Amino acid sequence: MAKIALQGLAHEYVNPFTRERVRALEDVTLEVDEGEFLTVVGPSGCGKTTLLNILAGLLQPTRGTVLVDGRPVRGPGRDRGVVFQEFAILPWRTVERNIAHGLEIQGVPRAERAAIVRRFVALVGLEGFERKYPHELSGGMKQRVAVARTLAADPAVMLMDEPFASVDAQTRITLQEELNAIARATRKTILFVTHNVEEAVFLGDRCCVLSRRPGRVKALVPVPIPRERRTWRLLTADPTFAATRDLVLRLVREEVGGEDGAR
Amino acid sequence: MSGGRAATGRWELAAAWAFVLGTGTAAWALAAAALPLPAYYLPPPTAVLGALAELVVKGILPLYVAESLRRILLAALVALGVGVPLGLLLGMSRRLADFAYPLLNFFQSVSGIAWLPLMLVWFGFGERTILVAVNYTVFFPVIFNAMLGVRSVPRLYVDALRTLGASRGRIVRDVLVPGALPAIATGMRLGLAYGWRALIAAEMLVGAHGLGFMIFSAQAFHLTARIMLGMGIIGLLWVVLDYVLLRPLEEATIARWGLVQR
Amino acid sequence: MRAATVLRGTLPFAVLVGAWALVAGAGAVPAMFLPPPADVARVAWELARDGALALHVAASLARVLVAVAVSVPLAVALGVLVALHRRLAAVAEPIVAFFNALSGIAWLPLAVTWFGLGWASVTFIMFNTVFFLVFFNTLVGVRLVPRLFEHAVLTLGGSRRHVILHVLLPGALPSIVTGLRLSLGFGWRALIAAEMIATSTGLGFLIYNAANFHQSDTILVGIVTIGVLWLLTDRLVLQPLERRTIERWGLVAAGS
Repeated sequence: MAKIALQGLAHEYVNPFTRERVRALEDVTLEVDEGEFLTVVGPSGCGKTTLLNILAGLLQPTRGTVLVDGRPVRGPGRDRGVVFQEFAILPWRTVERNIAHGLEIQGVPRAERAAIVRRFVALVGLEGFERKYPHELSGGMKQRVAVARTLAADPAVMLMDEPFASVDAQTRITLQEELNAIARATRKTILFVTHNVEEAVFLGDRCCVLSRRPGRVKALVPVPIPRERRTWRLLTADPTFAATRDLVLRLVREEVGGEDGAR
Repeated sequence: MSGGRAATGRWELAAAWAFVLGTGTAAWALAAAALPLPAYYLPPPTAVLGALAELVVKGILPLYVAESLRRILLAALVALGVGVPLGLLLGMSRRLADFAYPLLNFFQSVSGIAWLPLMLVWFGFGERTILVAVNYTVFFPVIFNAMLGVRSVPRLYVDALRTLGASRGRIVRDVLVPGALPAIATGMRLGLAYGWRALIAAEMLVGAHGLGFMIFSAQAFHLTARIMLGMGIIGLLWVVLDYVLLRPLEEATIARWGLVQR
Repeated sequence: MRAATVLRGTLPFAVLVGAWALVAGAGAVPAMFLPPPADVARVAWELARDGALALHVAASLARVLVAVAVSVPLAVALGVLVALHRRLAAVAEPIVAFFNALSGIAWLPLAVTWFGLGWASVTFIMFNTVFFLVFFNTLVGVRLVPRLFEHAVLTLGGSRRHVILHVLLPGALPSIVTGLRLSLGFGWRALIAAEMIATSTGLGFLIYNAANFHQSDTILVGIVTIGVLWLLTDRLVLQPLERRTIERWGLVAAGS
């Protein structure tokens, strides 16, 4: 049984400012296996974030079913952890208290909590910053806290909404590699939304390309590169990577139309 | 609205308003009729309207409103005309600003009303006492904030202009004054907020024609409807002043500079 | 370093008092209008010694404390409750804004009608002022907490109650603290004015009563005490509170 199963998902809403009906998604059918890292790309406005929000339970789809571990999604919950694009860690909690937050909610006893937090602080490389407040951290560090927080809560599935978009290019590269390492180590099922094609191919076991609005699954492109090989140093010279990336880029560009392409 | 909830429809809002005001007034009228209290404790809404009509026809209300407004307006003008320039001047000198800071802070903390008894000793129960108390109250937040506003302008901007060869006067005009504008607007808003309330208190204490006097003297005769009317007008006048004039002014100046400087 | 800041804080006052002494000493102004600092100091000492000053300070402070202790929890609780319901909040906001505008001394005649002269009316004024301002700021503060934070905690499995306690309240705290500062500022002033009119204890009464006897020195003692009390409140209560919340968390407060 697939970890995540979307069937005939469609979503429509009314723009509060212009009052027109917008069809964000149309007939999205998709399955994600346990332990798979699926990236979702598409042109701006294709509904990637809507898709993620529906999966997270923050949005109710107008049509279709969403099953996680065979059960329908009714609302947000700890089985679907989310890392948001904007910095969603709480400004009034220190790094360690933010990371511990999911565990607090679950009622994990203090000593155990501390041990888990320590582990994840190390995992995301934030040793020494445990007592800092978010406003004292850089963007990259804040997202590391967000990732650690979600991971520490041990969700069945991780949903990531362009988490590295607000971070500078250098840091983004580092974070991508770190995320890869984490994915390998934890073998979590991850659904990762991005508009950056290179990132999508770098990270994903499969790459789901959405069409332009209303978003449909245009293609599911497998990325046949073993996870151990996924470092930027290696992949920049790898022909399979280049070929896959070019393919996905072409698919996305087709949806955008016009010469300037997917950026 | 917590960052992104869909806007409530305008009709919905109007309907909700009508409902609230309607039920509120009805409940009031009911309470006034049903509660076993002397009549002067809670006059019905109709009594308040009656008082409104009576005082308008007699010309008392317009007079009192005009008197109160005159006083606060005067205080505003004085604060603008004297407080702002003085504050700016103080702000331009680091030494002076550091010296003045504790003093201004202290004098601002002591409302004009606290000085009223001393003013009574000096000037007796008259217009001058009220004016001094109210002007004082509006003045200090304005001068204090103007000074702080100038000091908060980033050194960077002043230096940038100096590298363009700007004279002192030009720097004052093009950098310091616009830079201090948000703080000045805030100071005016705060000063007038304090000042309006000090005015009402002063009119009560000194007994000169005005809204404060109106509600105060009404109490002596148990004319509670008049008290409520007066209170309504006092609140309404401030709401109008604040939301129609002062807040937009403050926001416009802050918007001019983009984000608040931190 | 410490000594330097203390010096910088007190020097202006020393200069002021010096100038004051000079003007009073020069004899240009009669003592009744401007008593010399020495006289004021002497009266301050006398009032302190025979407990009169302490009595009035205690009376005023007690009213402040009672009003704050009762109104703040009530206002915060109500503010959060109303903020949770979008329509209710939209309707409530202007109503509360109006009562804010009305707060303070304008309630005195009505209060006296209901409660008579005395501490009840005066405390009511203070209560009223603090309540509406803190209510308003809580309401606005909660509504300004980014939805993002709520979502984040919901996706961690947090319950609605958890969201209120751990996201909305802390998120609104800067606003609430600002509301507290503002309401103490307005409330304290309203209190002094109310004490002048409606009661026979308290600093307001002290200075107004003194005016009847042309005791300018007593008035000045009262004025200085009022100023000092506010500065103490600011330094010992408000600033630490703000440091612990707004500054520590690197936030900006709304509604100031």
